[in-house]
Amino acid sequence: MIALALRAASDAPAPFVTRLSLQAESEPALSHFLACTQAGSLWSGTQGLFEVASAAEDLIGDVVLVDPFEGRADRLIRSASRHNTLLVTEQCDQLCAMCSQPPKKTHVDRFDLLEQASLLADQGITIGISGGEPTLHRARLFSMLESVLEARPDLNFHVLSNGQHFTAEDALRLRSPCYRNVVWGIPIYAADAASHDAIVGKAGAFERLMASFAHLLRAGARIELRTVLSSSTAERLDTLASFIVRDLAHIEQWSVMGLENIGFARNRWNELHLDLRRDFHAVGKALDRANLHGIRPRLFNIPLCHVPAAYRSYAVASISDWKQRFSDKCAPCAARPECSGFFEWHPPELVDEVFPL
Amino acid sequence: MVEGELGRLSHKFAVQRRRFHPGELDYLILVPTLRCNLACSYCQVSRAAEGASGYDWSDGTRDAVIDLVRQTRSGHLKIEFQGGEPTLRCDLIEAVIGAVPPHVEASFVICTNLQHVPPEAAALFDRDDVSISTSLDGPRLHHARQRGQDDAASEAFEQNIDRLLAQYGSRKVSALPTLDPRSPPDPDELIDAYARRGMTAIYLRPINYQGFARRQHADCRTTDTRWLEYHETFIRRLIYRNWKDRNICLEENYFSLLLRRIFRPGEDRHVDLRNPNPFGTDFIVIDHDGLAYPTDEARMLARAGIIDLSIGNIRQGWNTPARDALNAVSTCDGDPDCEACTYKPFCGRDIVDDISRYGTIDIPRRETEFCRRHLHLFDLAFELIHSPDPAIQYSLCRWLGLGGDRLPAGGLS
Repeated sequence: MIALALRAASDAPAPFVTRLSLQAESEPALSHFLACTQAGSLWSGTQGLFEVASAAEDLIGDVVLVDPFEGRADRLIRSASRHNTLLVTEQCDQLCAMCSQPPKKTHVDRFDLLEQASLLADQGITIGISGGEPTLHRARLFSMLESVLEARPDLNFHVLSNGQHFTAEDALRLRSPCYRNVVWGIPIYAADAASHDAIVGKAGAFERLMASFAHLLRAGARIELRTVLSSSTAERLDTLASFIVRDLAHIEQWSVMGLENIGFARNRWNELHLDLRRDFHAVGKALDRANLHGIRPRLFNIPLCHVPAAYRSYAVASISDWKQRFSDKCAPCAARPECSGFFEWHPPELVDEVFPL
Repeated sequence: MVEGELGRLSHKFAVQRRRFHPGELDYLILVPTLRCNLACSYCQVSRAAEGASGYDWSDGTRDAVIDLVRQTRSGHLKIEFQGGEPTLRCDLIEAVIGAVPPHVEASFVICTNLQHVPPEAAALFDRDDVSISTSLDGPRLHHARQRGQDDAASEAFEQNIDRLLAQYGSRKVSALPTLDPRSPPDPDELIDAYARRGMTAIYLRPINYQGFARRQHADCRTTDTRWLEYHETFIRRLIYRNWKDRNICLEENYFSLLLRRIFRPGEDRHVDLRNPNPFGTDFIVIDHDGLAYPTDEARMLARAGIIDLSIGNIRQGWNTPARDALNAVSTCDGDPDCEACTYKPFCGRDIVDDISRYGTIDIPRRETEFCRRHLHLFDLAFELIHSPDPAIQYSLCRWLGLGGDRLPAGGLS
């Protein structure tokens, strides 16, 4: 596992964002490497000196948020990684049964810092936006996306949202050309309100989601649908596929995702977890139905050896580098570069249930 | 069921997705030379002798094509080099490839008879973004007869195609048979000529006896019916063979295209089957003399002296009254037969085909060869889709790129 939060020390009067570089440069948003220290590395920038508990070579090119009060440096955008996600809030108005990141009541507004970080990103990357529920702070979120994309049209954003807050006015705003660089990742768990609402823990959620989809369709928004596989979603997956190909045919991708053994799912793992090696039928049929009608289905977070050979082309090496894990038994596997592996927090006794391809 | 706003919008969206909406120009067919080193029986008109002069791009045409490629506005570009035999002018191919702007993702197809592979062609073939398309009319005797070739010439061709297949594999080297509908080869012999080379995709292309030649053949309609039967037999043989030997999956490209169009709205890149089908938008043919044609068949018609369907030229462009005249009628919309047809959402309009056969587009659609052929193929497609036969279901799933061995049953819930 790659540590995203590092211990740090700084005398700056407030949290700041900077990009770490090896050489001193004139760009004020950059900090440059000074020396190795016992704790890690020492850096110098416009906010003065600061120390980070990690070797310098691992950090070069990273965009970090240094919080002097917490004594912490968050690696917001790692230069060598394709998996960078900015957390904009921890509040959420849903309580999904399998939530990997349970919500908190309070909100700390870091939008200005995250905007600065985005502006310092490498050329052409995709930045993830996550929560909590980012659209609880819609005005701030839209402003950040718009000002970053105006200055950096090379960047792309992927925003995870529960789709509970889009309005008719948003549809007008989201028509702006800069939103061609924004994909909205929106979960849907079933094609009927009762099942979907039960899973997301909010009455009326399905109906509100459908209203949002109408607004987003009007805006020509780019949408990735996301469905977490669990014992409760799998049996309805083919019905959901039918619904998607008919009523949500404008989406770019349907991501069907393996469950994460973290957050709320951890306590209910045995109840929710689905062993695809035992029964792939319902999932395979749903993936095929979507594909048949021109929807791009992708299977996330499932190791290739758990997927029947004929369906492996749907599987994606989706797990972010910093939380990805393989079994020792995976060492000889030829398919490893294309494989998602497991989440770092997958039940250890299950991680060894693999066979090399 | 979603009632209300989303249902209403998604229905509108679905209806629009069944129609072709042209994007930027991103598909060029270029004919750098009309000269050819073969004299095939079905190609007397669209070639010039190898040593003839005045049948290659002039410097002005070359520069104008290069400008066109340089100004590509699309993010991707497909360029097909046709002829004549384009490898007689590899220098022109190289010049075009070199003009593609760096941000454009381009792929190139060189359509060659593979009779000779000069070193400069071999160097082009070696590029990752170049693929090779050739003609393979079936078993050797059949191929040689159509090409008017002796044994040595056939031997040379076979050596070239087999060597390139061994070197690059069938992903890069493809072929298609040009067939005389009056005397097509035995389906299994034709399939074998491909399968034993590891080539799994076969696009059946019947020779179209055009214009006056057609009128002189009183038996045209009988020939057309025979062709439909042949096409169906061919599909059924593929199904049988795929089921018997799971190690190789054979397909007929045009039938696969129809299947995809039935299930997947938006499969609109086959330029002869879409609706509406506006010419000179996303796709253009530039001939050896710089004239711009709406399709390759339109170029042949002009070459054969039947009708001039050119819509402009490389220097002045093709935003012309001639193009507008064609585009005004290049649609199924409003045609009484099409509007009453259950297959309209999957079908398309090819007015060049109508003109080539009948000299007019003003005849009832159901009496055209295009319509009869597509009705037959769509009928066959739906018969197969609804068939419980596991062998049929197996092939359909492979052709549609599915993981399972049976199409997901049941309609939309």
